[in-house]
Amino acid sequence: MPATRRRLAIPVLAGILVGAVLVGVAFGAVWISPWTSLRLILWKLHLEGRPARVPLSTELILFQLRLPRVLLAALVGAALATAGAVFQALFRNPMADPAIIGVSSGAALGGIVVILLGAGGALDAMGVSGAAFVGALLTAFLVYRLARLGPSVQVATLLLAGIAVAAIISAAISLIMTFSGQDIRSIYFWLLGGLGARGWQAMAAVTPFVFVGMAVAMASASDLNLTALGEERAAQLGLEVERFKTLMLGTGSLLTAAAVSVSGLIGFVGLMTPHILRLVVGADHRRLLPASILGGASFMILADLAARTAIRPEEIPVGAVTAVLGGPFFLYLLRRERRAAGARA
Amino acid sequence: MPARDFGSGREAMTGADGSGLVIRGLSAGYGEQLVLRGVSAVASAGEVTGLIGPNGSGKTTLVRVASRGLKPRSGVVRVQGVDPYTVSSRRAARLVSVVPQEVVPAFSYSVLEMVLMGRAPHRSGWGWGSSEDWVQSRRAMAAAGVQHLADRPLAELSGGERQRVILAQALAQDAPVLLLDEPTTHLDLRHVVEILGLVRSLARHSGKTVLAIFHDLNLASAYCDRVYALAEGEVVTSGTPGQVITRDLVRDVFGIEADVAPAGLAGRPWVTVGPAIAAEDARGMARAHVVGGAGRGAAVMRGLAESGFAVSVGVLHAGDTDTAVAERLNLLRLTVPPFSDIDARTAGDCANLMEGASVLVVCDAPFGPGNVENLRLALQTASRGVRTLLLEQVPIEERDFTGGEATRLWRSLAERAAVLRSAEEIVSEAVSAIPSR
Repeated sequence: MPATRRRLAIPVLAGILVGAVLVGVAFGAVWISPWTSLRLILWKLHLEGRPARVPLSTELILFQLRLPRVLLAALVGAALATAGAVFQALFRNPMADPAIIGVSSGAALGGIVVILLGAGGALDAMGVSGAAFVGALLTAFLVYRLARLGPSVQVATLLLAGIAVAAIISAAISLIMTFSGQDIRSIYFWLLGGLGARGWQAMAAVTPFVFVGMAVAMASASDLNLTALGEERAAQLGLEVERFKTLMLGTGSLLTAAAVSVSGLIGFVGLMTPHILRLVVGADHRRLLPASILGGASFMILADLAARTAIRPEEIPVGAVTAVLGGPFFLYLLRRERRAAGARA
Repeated sequence: MPARDFGSGREAMTGADGSGLVIRGLSAGYGEQLVLRGVSAVASAGEVTGLIGPNGSGKTTLVRVASRGLKPRSGVVRVQGVDPYTVSSRRAARLVSVVPQEVVPAFSYSVLEMVLMGRAPHRSGWGWGSSEDWVQSRRAMAAAGVQHLADRPLAELSGGERQRVILAQALAQDAPVLLLDEPTTHLDLRHVVEILGLVRSLARHSGKTVLAIFHDLNLASAYCDRVYALAEGEVVTSGTPGQVITRDLVRDVFGIEADVAPAGLAGRPWVTVGPAIAAEDARGMARAHVVGGAGRGAAVMRGLAESGFAVSVGVLHAGDTDTAVAERLNLLRLTVPPFSDIDARTAGDCANLMEGASVLVVCDAPFGPGNVENLRLALQTASRGVRTLLLEQVPIEERDFTGGEATRLWRSLAERAAVLRSAEEIVSEAVSAIPSR
């Protein structure tokens, strides 16, 4: 029954996230059993005593290496999925995704500029995040203005505008990298995307942005439903459309920028997560947003797990993992969209 | 047609509290294009006000302006006494709700979710809505007849069901002014009657102000208390349906010939889109003259008119069934007052009409002293060589109320004419005698 399924979806997704965290921290050079992890975490939260017979090295691996990485993955996944859901409602288009519409590239450009200007190449996380935010915001507005013809954004114009803008930004990034001298390595690794060795510092830098963005998106859930009906109808139902659009473009850009600034370019999470969860919990954003946050976080943890364990000891960029999963999914969606359009015509 | 003045007198009727919708001297448009030019209209609380007019006459633009969707260039808009462009979108949405022609959500919402969105202007912040929101939404769904669809996805519904969901959404908004842009486009007949009945009872019993666009003039006639006819962005005329929906309006504003007659017990105008009666189109100026009476000429007149003849009739008595038919068909007709004899002058006019006709048709009407003159004129015309056709389904003896004179005239006439047994035969004989160009 769909109603029951919808009610249970959020608790089930929360359970999956807890499971994903425990599985995520379990694998690596040293196996840490979920039970051990759970007891150590509970100990850290002052809920239980220090579990006996757990070596100090396990504790250090868990808290210094694995847990920050897994939690950062969760944050990035949640941020990208929320940004995807927001952009999809705003553009009235299920194909919108921060990477596809070029916002991620814009954030990357902003971040790169700061890395280059940054004193001695030190990665000041706050500065990168801020610049990425500005880059993402400008790109979002630009693509939105370019793609909008009439009451909604058409798939074709959205993709074309996104591709064109992303291509221009990529050209700018290449140009900057050509003249960047010895910084090219740090830029390159940053761009490739990855969650390795960022530590608690990176977490601390982006957590406020991600939580503010998710909170604003959740608070706007009802109004996102209205924008999905079209701007004119949303206004008839009492929404200040222009102000809300600006707020949501800003929120989506903030979330994208936060994710990009710590993990580089990771595509398709924002596209796939809301899309699949819409089939489970329905289109109502009051359910879809929390579901996307939980689902995006879990997905990202597992994608990162695959990235670092698939061909050990080498590590695949996590963006490649999401692309391998997301690319075919995107093509499937495009095909279905076209078939639906053909059936309507 | 001169535009009537809707000045202060009408406005006073909307009440001192300013309830209802008042529009004065409104001009609005898109870009360079001006769609509304100085429109004034009033929709009062407790009434259904209709907007009629051809495509592109500005009806939808008027609804858009009234719902805070298009800022006017000049003029006054007042909803419940408030200028919607000076208040927040949210406040405006609590004053006026709209049922647009179509709403296409980007994602598949359920019916209940759609209807609950109608509560948006009443809700604070986020969350799942108060019990008031649920009560109003349930009530709106019941009123629009979609409560059994509550958990169904909107995308799976038929066009008519979707339209009723949007109506329920607008009703859940619970605003005193309701604007409907062609609310019955996708509905079957039963739902048309139900929805319009609902809309009218909302006006009558809940005191709502309803402004609705109608494409079907008969629905406008049946459900509106007042009607505004728009053409090219201006109000052409307004008033009760009986005052507005006339043959002249249909011709001048919509450019078609139609029959408009009072119908039903309420006597509201009923529009029947008629045949093209322009004789010049099909048969040049070929004219048929029909002698009828007591409804015996109706079928012949209609058949000839539909075949492209210009048709003249007479002499008839005013109030006769055939006279009414001739009026509706807009035929050239000669009449005398009821129960009076045919005077010499009318007889002379009739003789001229008969002699100028290409075909003369005499139907098997009852003949008495009041109309036997018609037979004398017909005989005279037939004698001069005008092609004459007699319709005789009822023998002349049974309808002779002149004591034999009518029978004698009819027999002489029959010698100079073709006698046929049905209206169809008459029409086909006339058509073959005067071929189309």
